[in-house]
Amino acid sequence: MNSTVKQKPYFRTALLGVVSIASYIALFTHSSVVMEYFIKGGLYAALPIATALYFSFVHGAFASGVLSLLGLTAKGH
Amino acid sequence: MKKWIFALIVCVLAVMAFAPAAFAESAPPSNAKKGDFTQVDPASRTAVFQPVDADQPITMKIGDAVNISDVELNQRVLVSLSEQDGEPVATDISVMFLGITLQRLIALLIVGLVGGLLSGFIGSGGAFVLTPSMMALGVPGAVAVASNMCHKFPKAMVGTYKRYRYGQVDVKLGVTMGVSAIVGVELGIKMQERILETWGSTGSDLYVSFVFVIILAIVGGIVLRDAMRNKEEAREEVKPRLALAMQRIKIPPMMNFKKAGVVLSAWVTVPIGFATGLLAATIAVGGFIGVPGMIYVVGASAMVASATELLVAFIMGMWGSAEWALSGLVDIRLTLLILAASLFGVQLGALGTTYVKDHTIKLVMAAVMLIVAVSRGVKVPVYLAKLNVISLSTGTSDVLNLISFWTLILALLVAGGIISSAMIKGIVSAKAEEAEAHEAIAEGA
Repeated sequence: MNSTVKQKPYFRTALLGVVSIASYIALFTHSSVVMEYFIKGGLYAALPIATALYFSFVHGAFASGVLSLLGLTAKGH
Repeated sequence: MKKWIFALIVCVLAVMAFAPAAFAESAPPSNAKKGDFTQVDPASRTAVFQPVDADQPITMKIGDAVNISDVELNQRVLVSLSEQDGEPVATDISVMFLGITLQRLIALLIVGLVGGLLSGFIGSGGAFVLTPSMMALGVPGAVAVASNMCHKFPKAMVGTYKRYRYGQVDVKLGVTMGVSAIVGVELGIKMQERILETWGSTGSDLYVSFVFVIILAIVGGIVLRDAMRNKEEAREEVKPRLALAMQRIKIPPMMNFKKAGVVLSAWVTVPIGFATGLLAATIAVGGFIGVPGMIYVVGASAMVASATELLVAFIMGMWGSAEWALSGLVDIRLTLLILAASLFGVQLGALGTTYVKDHTIKLVMAAVMLIVAVSRGVKVPVYLAKLNVISLSTGTSDVLNLISFWTLILALLVAGGIISSAMIKGIVSAKAEEAEAHEAIAEGA
C-alpha cells in the first residue's frame, strides 16, 4: 500500500506569518491616517471591506498553517 | 478549479453587496451624528458640534443625562440627538474610537477566539458574545455592531471554505437561503429603528431581550431534547417528520440540495432564510433559527446545517458590512483584533466537527441557547424598571446585571468545554485507530 506523508507547510506558514504580522504593524502604526479615511463613508466604504478580506486571506491561511503544524487537522484530511 | 470558483463567488457577492449600496443613501441611526465638539460652555450647558457630513456646525444643548465634563473637544464622537422646543439636544455622547489598551487587546483576543470556535462548530453564535463584550469594554453600540459585522463575514468566509473542503456545505441551499435572509435583515433593521424611535434605547433592549428569551428557550429546548434522544438511541439521523412533510410540497422551482440529501421546493427555504435574517438583525444571531430550520424543516443533518449556516452568515455579513461601512461606523482596528484570534478559533471549530457526531453539535447549540436565554431573561426586570413599568432597587439591578454578564461567560465556558472535550476525545480515538491500522499493516507485511 502506498502511504503518502503529507509535508508540513513550515516555509509557507512562516512566510504568511511574517506578511500577516507586518500588515498588522503597518496598519496599527498608521491607525490615525487609516481611521480618517476608513470612516468617510460613501465609496471609501470599500476600504474596510477590502482590508477585512485581505487580512482574512493572509491571516486565515497563516492560522490554517499553524494548526496544521500543531497536528490539528480534520479527520481524514 | 474549485478554489477559483469559490473566489469568484466571493467577488461576485462582494460586488453585489457593495455596488448598489454605494449609490444609495445610507445613514447611521437617524438620530445619531458623527463629528467633533469644537466649543463647550459648561455654564449654559451648550456646545458647538461639527458633524462630519456637513459644512455648518450645530449649536446644541447638552441634555441632563450627560455629564458636561465628559464633553471633550476635538475628539470624534457619536452623539444621539433629540429635539426640545425646536432645539437640538444631545442625549448621549460616546467616544467613537476608543484607545486600544492592553486589557482591551487581551479581552478582544480571548472573546474572538471563543466566538470563532463556537461559530466554526455550530455555524453561529459568535456575535451575541462579541457585540456585548465590545460594549462592555466601552465601545459605542453602533460601532460595536458595525465592527463586529465587518469581522463576521470574513470569519464566516474562512469557516465556510474549511467546511466546504470537509464536504459539509450545501452551497445551493446556503445561497438560496442567503437571498431571503437579506430581505429578513432589511425588515429587521426597519423594525428595530421603529422601536428605537418609539420607545428609546431601553425599549429596544427590552424588545431584543424578549426575542432572545422566547426564541432561544423554545428552540433550544427542542434541540436539546433531540440531541439527548439521538445520543441515547445512537441511531443514524432520521429525517424529522416536518421535513418529510415539506418534501411533499411540489411548487416549482424544485431544487436538489445534494449535500443536505433532499429535493425540495425552493419556497420552503424562503421562510427559514427570512427568519434567519430577521433574527440576525434583531439579536445578531440568525443561526439560532437558521440551523434548527435547516435540520427540522429542510431535513439536513446538524453537520450540514451548521456548515451551510456559515455560508448564509457570510452573505448576510457582507451585505450588512457594506451598509455599516457606508455609514463610516466600522472601527477596523477592533475588527482586525478580533479576526486575529477568531480566524484560529473558527478553523479549530470547523475541524472539530469532523471528530464528533451530529448530536454533539446539537448539544452545544442547545446548551448555548438555553444559557444565553437565562442571561437575557434576568435583564428583563432591569429594562422594565428603567421604563417605570416595575420598581427595582439599584442593588437588585446591579445584582441582575452581574448575573446576566456571568451567565453569558458561563455559556462560553460550557460551549468551549463541550467542544474541546469532544474534539480531544475524537482526535485521541482517531490517532489510536490510525496506530492500530499501521500495526496491522506492519504485521501483515
